[in-house]
Amino acid sequence: MDKYYIKFILRNRLNFITYCFLIFFFLIILRFFYIQILQNTYYSTQALDNSIKVVPIKPARGLIFDRNNIILADNKLSYDLEIIPEQIENLSILITRLSDLIPIKTSDIDKYKRILKNKQYNNTVPIKTNLTNEELAKFVTNSYKFPNIELKETLKRFYPEGEVGVHYLGYINRISKKDLITLEKEGKKKNYIGTDHIGKAGVEFQYENELHGVSGYKHIEVNATGKPVRTIKNFPAREGENIHLTIDLKMQKIAEKEFKNRKGALIALDPSNGEILAYVSMPTYNPGFFVDGISHKNWNQLNKSPDKPLLDRVINGLYPPGSTLKPFVAVAGLENQLRLPPFKINDPGYFYISDDSRRFKDWKIGGHGEVDIVKAIAVSCDTFFYGLAIELGIPKLNKTLANFGFGMKTGVDLPNEKLGLIADAKWKKKKYRKNWYAGETAITGIGQGYTQVTPIQLALATSKIAYPNKSMVPHIKLNSQQLKQTANLTPPISISDKTIEWVKEGMENVTEDGGTAAFIGKTTSYKMAAKTGTAQVFGLKKGEVYEEEKLPDHLKDHALFIAYAPASKPEIAIAIIVENGGHGGSTAGPIAKKIFDYYLTSKNRK
Amino acid sequence: MNLTTIQNYIFQKLDRPLFGAITLILTIGLINLISANHQDVSNSLSHTINIFIGIVFLFMICNSQTRNILVFAPWAYSLTLFLLIYVNLYGIESHGAQRWINLGIFNLQPSEILKITLPLMLAWFYQKCTFNINYKVHFVAGLLIFLPLYLVAIQPDLGTSLLILFGGLTVIFLAGLPTRFIIISFFGLLISSPFIWNTLLNYQKERILSLIDPLSDPYGAGYQSIQSIIAVGHGGIFGRGWLNGEQTSLQFLPETATDFVFSVFSEEFGFFGVLSVITIYVFIFYRCMWMATKMQDTFSRLLVAGLTISLFISLTVNIGMISGLLPVVGVPLPFFSYGGSSMVVSLTSIGIIMNLYSNKSLIAN
Repeated sequence: MDKYYIKFILRNRLNFITYCFLIFFFLIILRFFYIQILQNTYYSTQALDNSIKVVPIKPARGLIFDRNNIILADNKLSYDLEIIPEQIENLSILITRLSDLIPIKTSDIDKYKRILKNKQYNNTVPIKTNLTNEELAKFVTNSYKFPNIELKETLKRFYPEGEVGVHYLGYINRISKKDLITLEKEGKKKNYIGTDHIGKAGVEFQYENELHGVSGYKHIEVNATGKPVRTIKNFPAREGENIHLTIDLKMQKIAEKEFKNRKGALIALDPSNGEILAYVSMPTYNPGFFVDGISHKNWNQLNKSPDKPLLDRVINGLYPPGSTLKPFVAVAGLENQLRLPPFKINDPGYFYISDDSRRFKDWKIGGHGEVDIVKAIAVSCDTFFYGLAIELGIPKLNKTLANFGFGMKTGVDLPNEKLGLIADAKWKKKKYRKNWYAGETAITGIGQGYTQVTPIQLALATSKIAYPNKSMVPHIKLNSQQLKQTANLTPPISISDKTIEWVKEGMENVTEDGGTAAFIGKTTSYKMAAKTGTAQVFGLKKGEVYEEEKLPDHLKDHALFIAYAPASKPEIAIAIIVENGGHGGSTAGPIAKKIFDYYLTSKNRK
Repeated sequence: MNLTTIQNYIFQKLDRPLFGAITLILTIGLINLISANHQDVSNSLSHTINIFIGIVFLFMICNSQTRNILVFAPWAYSLTLFLLIYVNLYGIESHGAQRWINLGIFNLQPSEILKITLPLMLAWFYQKCTFNINYKVHFVAGLLIFLPLYLVAIQPDLGTSLLILFGGLTVIFLAGLPTRFIIISFFGLLISSPFIWNTLLNYQKERILSLIDPLSDPYGAGYQSIQSIIAVGHGGIFGRGWLNGEQTSLQFLPETATDFVFSVFSEEFGFFGVLSVITIYVFIFYRCMWMATKMQDTFSRLLVAGLTISLFISLTVNIGMISGLLPVVGVPLPFFSYGGSSMVVSLTSIGIIMNLYSNKSLIAN
């Protein structure tokens, strides 16, 4: 093939292609002529009279049940009046007209304005929610007078148990602008086009993906004002999953009742598998407040209350563990070959590091006399643990505490768990730019000082004493495959059998004669192993004496209590903190007993 | 250097009629985009920036050495292949397809770059074999098309891959593929089409079916197509006026800034507006094809024709789509649609065409 031949072919074919395109352009122009000029009237009426609009269908949110199928979060049918704000020329006139028919309160208007601020594009905004049957009938007969108001049937979240268990259950709220940004980043925005609400706390937040479901959509014909004429095609939504929790609602209610008006936290779990049976943070609040957007007044009340009802004390409350830390300090000692029985000390009622240092007092004036490690746990002997902590040193002690899960997240399937704190010299240097004192080591041994724990950490650590060879993650969703896998990844702590035996004996003796919670042991039909604790809320100045009666309530000591039962084959473990409750055994102990009685006395169980 | 020499230097190689027509189209497109974006100014602003960057590219390419373009061809092609592999692995997903690479300040769409680098590679390749073009050469050229085509198709982006296929095949056709072969492969394709049909994704099938009879499923797959036709038809002779398109403002029209940007234009400026814009496009097309016939060597001829055809396949498919002549495929309208990659690529293509044309006698020697 020579060059000229190629050039010849090319030119021919170039022309051919050019003609093809020109013909196509001509066809396009004909087509536009046909549509725009010949068919103009037809398409203009199509555009003006009826058009098809895609309307999203929101999926019904999954329900939440307790372990015995009692419903905790339900959906209730609600009739709302909604408007598209852009179509309303004068809102106040509309409201006055509507008020003749249906009472519109200022709170309704406030709510409307609040929702309007965070509105998604194109959505309608409710002006009146939860119509009564009477109001519904009135509106339906008069609806022709209000072409711009749309009557909507929606499923509204309803929490039948009200304030019970609000902290783990959480709540849903209207989707905010911030939520929208997050959803967009996660690529989920499309699925939320028809959704107004999103989980904001607790299980409602944690399992949002499962509960929400998948949005559907339908094509509807709308007229020029945007009013739907008829539905043409339906692509139904996929409902959210129903979720069962490990919570035993009956137990939860008993626990909340036992707190009476006191503040604090309680968590009960099955120590063999980590299922959370009761999860109390007091005081509580009503999650229903949030469903339609919480009013400013209610929010301020909740947010600014000194009792902090919004705080989830179980995973976010940080407390000094007090004497409830002693069993774990004991494990640290024994595992490092310190204070192995029959080693005993003679407790004079105080401890000092060296002759010229200050004296560290035992809670019992005059001391406990001859004390070995088992008795030290049973009577909560401070002197014993001051010395043990000093001899162990912080690094070894912290290693064991970390083994029990202190200072780290337990991995519970609830949002924003706090870490707690096990302090050391390096931490103090960074935080306060000061050196660590030996005295701080001593008081760490009795759970004072910098150490901070969450109730769930205490409950997990207690479970690990009950079953040192089981690995588990505390969790609230029943039968979660994912959690089972993570649990298998965390190895059980390795402690010698002998150590566990001694520590268990000490904790069992707490409810025996001479123990700090002996009075509880006398009334139970099963054997309870426990440890009491009292945590100082504020430091006494030198020479001051703690006089409970004289102190204002918020400065009184916290009462703590950890326990598991039956001692021989534990079925339930518990951690309780009663804020400003005074002595652990006498305030928190009876609550634990009530729970255990319910759970372990067969007639109460299902 | 004084101002006039700088001006001379910059504008010397520019083809003024072509550049004038393109400036006109860009201006109309920008005005239209303000309406298509529901008067949201930020998008129109970034469209202006895209145009500016594109024009800078156009000038730079137009004034560079033609030899550089030739030498650059295989490297550009390899780089595009690499980007296409990269986008399939780490690209940004949107509307169920991975098409973009996030480069921080903007998202790059490698399949758009291919609209330049594939014709470039093919032209370079045929130039290398210019004295001995036979079946083997055509076969290798086919492979050069197939490789990137496959990578685009699996994103999945059927629309763009079909455009690339057509663009590439036209270059082979222009390079002198024997007529017998064309006829044989046409029947081959016809026979294998049921098998190809089975490999299509559901939404792609629906779109093609909806074209054959849009009214069979007017509210499913045909929704976009019908809404677009209503908008176009609503425009009438003189249009609804700028910013007055009801179909656009009531948001019945999908993707008003990108794929369906011309529906907005048709509704607001009517048949006369459409006629004017298409006339300008036809002028640009005709001018470019005329330039191709004036070229003296294989490389320039094939490249100019290849680039032009690439651009105008996009254009005809887009306009065919919004007027209901062709199925709904995600293809932008060159010089009109919102989208940085497409704008820069289109203007760069024009830059290359102008460069080759102004140097045509140079290359021949």
